Amino acid sequence: MLENSLVDSIKKSHSLTEAQQLALGKFINKGFPTSKWEEWKYASLKHLNEHNWHWAPESISVDFPKPVWNSFAIIQTLNGNTSSEGTLPHGIALLTMSEFMVQNPAFDSVWKARNPILDQNSLYDLNEALVADHAVLWVKKGVKIAEPFVHHYLVSGQQDTAIQSKLFVYLEEDSEITWFEQQRSESSHAILSNYVQEIWVSKNAHLTLIKDQDLQQSITHVDHTFIFQQESSLVDAFTFSINAAYLRNNLHFYIDGPQVVSNLNGLYIPGEDQLMDTHSVVDHRMPHSESNELYKGVLMGNATGVFNGKIFVRPDAQKTNAFQSCKNVLASDRATMNTKPQLEIWADDVKCSHGTTTGQLSDEALFYLRSRGISKATAQTLLLLAFVQQVIDKLDHEEIRAELSEKIVNKIQASLGLTLS
Amino acid sequence: MLSVKNLHARIGEKEILNGINLEVHAGEVHAIMGPNGSGKSTLASVLAGRSDYEVSEGSVEFFGKDLLDLSPEARAAEGLFLAFQYPVEIPGVSTTNFMKSAINEIRAYRGQDAMDAVQFLKLFKERMAYVNIDQSLLSRALNEGFSGGEKKRNEIFQMAVLEPKLAILDETDSGLDIDALRIVAEGVNKLKTPQNATILVTHYQRLLDYIIPDFVHVLYKGKIVKSGNKDLALELEERGYDWIISALD
Repeated sequence: MLENSLVDSIKKSHSLTEAQQLALGKFINKGFPTSKWEEWKYASLKHLNEHNWHWAPESISVDFPKPVWNSFAIIQTLNGNTSSEGTLPHGIALLTMSEFMVQNPAFDSVWKARNPILDQNSLYDLNEALVADHAVLWVKKGVKIAEPFVHHYLVSGQQDTAIQSKLFVYLEEDSEITWFEQQRSESSHAILSNYVQEIWVSKNAHLTLIKDQDLQQSITHVDHTFIFQQESSLVDAFTFSINAAYLRNNLHFYIDGPQVVSNLNGLYIPGEDQLMDTHSVVDHRMPHSESNELYKGVLMGNATGVFNGKIFVRPDAQKTNAFQSCKNVLASDRATMNTKPQLEIWADDVKCSHGTTTGQLSDEALFYLRSRGISKATAQTLLLLAFVQQVIDKLDHEEIRAELSEKIVNKIQASLGLTLS
Repeated sequence: MLSVKNLHARIGEKEILNGINLEVHAGEVHAIMGPNGSGKSTLASVLAGRSDYEVSEGSVEFFGKDLLDLSPEARAAEGLFLAFQYPVEIPGVSTTNFMKSAINEIRAYRGQDAMDAVQFLKLFKERMAYVNIDQSLLSRALNEGFSGGEKKRNEIFQMAVLEPKLAILDETDSGLDIDALRIVAEGVNKLKTPQNATILVTHYQRLLDYIIPDFVHVLYKGKIVKSGNKDLALELEERGYDWIISALD
């Protein structure tokens, strides 16, 4: 149950529709997640009750440095307001959800029946309560764009600003895009950044989703990404969690058709005083589909990491292949990692496997490198970079791969307190 | 160059080295032989700085410096090299990248300028020929999936690149067929100069057919119990270790 003062402050800041009020009611009932909630055991947000939140963030505008390879419009979500800068390519539209529904009346019932798992997810309710009419990026039928879209997600504000952002990406049949999302902040104050991204991937569509999460040490960032995949669609998702005080990813895949392929790749590298929590859900609701999860973590300083990977194989989802791997290295004796693979299988003709490991760098490997004249710190860095490379190498786009690779190297070096020659 | 005096070392409570004395001078090749469990590999490991061992007594000087006081990387930079009995497989790190890091860290330690890409290429190409090793092997992840012979040749390649003053070869002959053994031995011989020295740790005499030692030492229960010239190795080959051991016990 949420504190009364917080409830009053929300109601004062927004005039809510009936649906929003309903969502707010759910949020108020649950409050912020605490460690007593199984899904938030290691990532409590109970302390958020203590803040005197500003629920209406100020409007901001920024000059975002465009990547050199970028030739068309950037989509930006600045403190919850989504717009595009520059010209969108033919066949791509940015509009509001209400406008989208007017143009796609038949989609309304499909959308309402999508049924994501919202168990213990009060922050999704909070987002729904405070976001009135969010943006939609609409990729029309058969539109294939090779160059990645840059999505610039930014939060900024004074102390105790709570920012809700929501975006819906709709890929029609046979379309194909790459979405490169750079999540950033511009504030040294305590901010709650609560972001919902829902993505509809229609028949034969192909999405590559790359999230580069690099926020400041004052930021609590919660990312809910729900992906609904239809028949024969393919999604390659990458989540690179690089910086934030608190970073929680609720990444859900709902496999709603046969011949679907879902690839989830993730790398989290929390350092001093950082917490990174990945909760993935792959819900096989239909047969003949495949999911592959590859997660790696490097935990430095007194970092805390959490990985919870749920795989559901529903009774109808025969001939499912579902694989999950999560490997972690504790690069400090003060770091902790909590892993929990969770498989629930109701179908009998399936292939599922999972494996999680958490260990330290091998003393034998460190000694081998050091015996050749390489310092201990450099040897650690070499081994850690070799460990994370497998995830980075899966990125096809050369410039994005180079950019992220550099960022990851810098973070690991900075956290280990050294510079490589 | 190396002066080992009354060296005692242990793992936990277990005493493995029981007072080793050894003097190695420039230009010399020493063979350390002995039955299994006599402490041969421990001696090699302690000299290279493996942290599993605790030195409880004695001293080791390397060019006048207290070797035991130095980190493994500083020992390497001072000119010590250990060829591993079991080279470690390191996924994701290629031999060439690893050697570049090693060379430039050692050069920085010695106050020398870093090598550039062209210099590396020239050096690697030249030293690859010493052990007949292929570029493609050096671009692969370090030792990962290498055959026994490839691993040992890679060790000698690294030695050739780093040009140590004192090389310790720990059972480098183990697991090698006769052709690989010859290649490895030829590599070691090519690297021999009047300024450097080699310690061969080996169980069998056969490596000493290819690399001729100036001194042969027999290690037993953590002590050097007999020293001689290359003829001692031949005698050991013929008579085994028992005649020495029974004279002691």
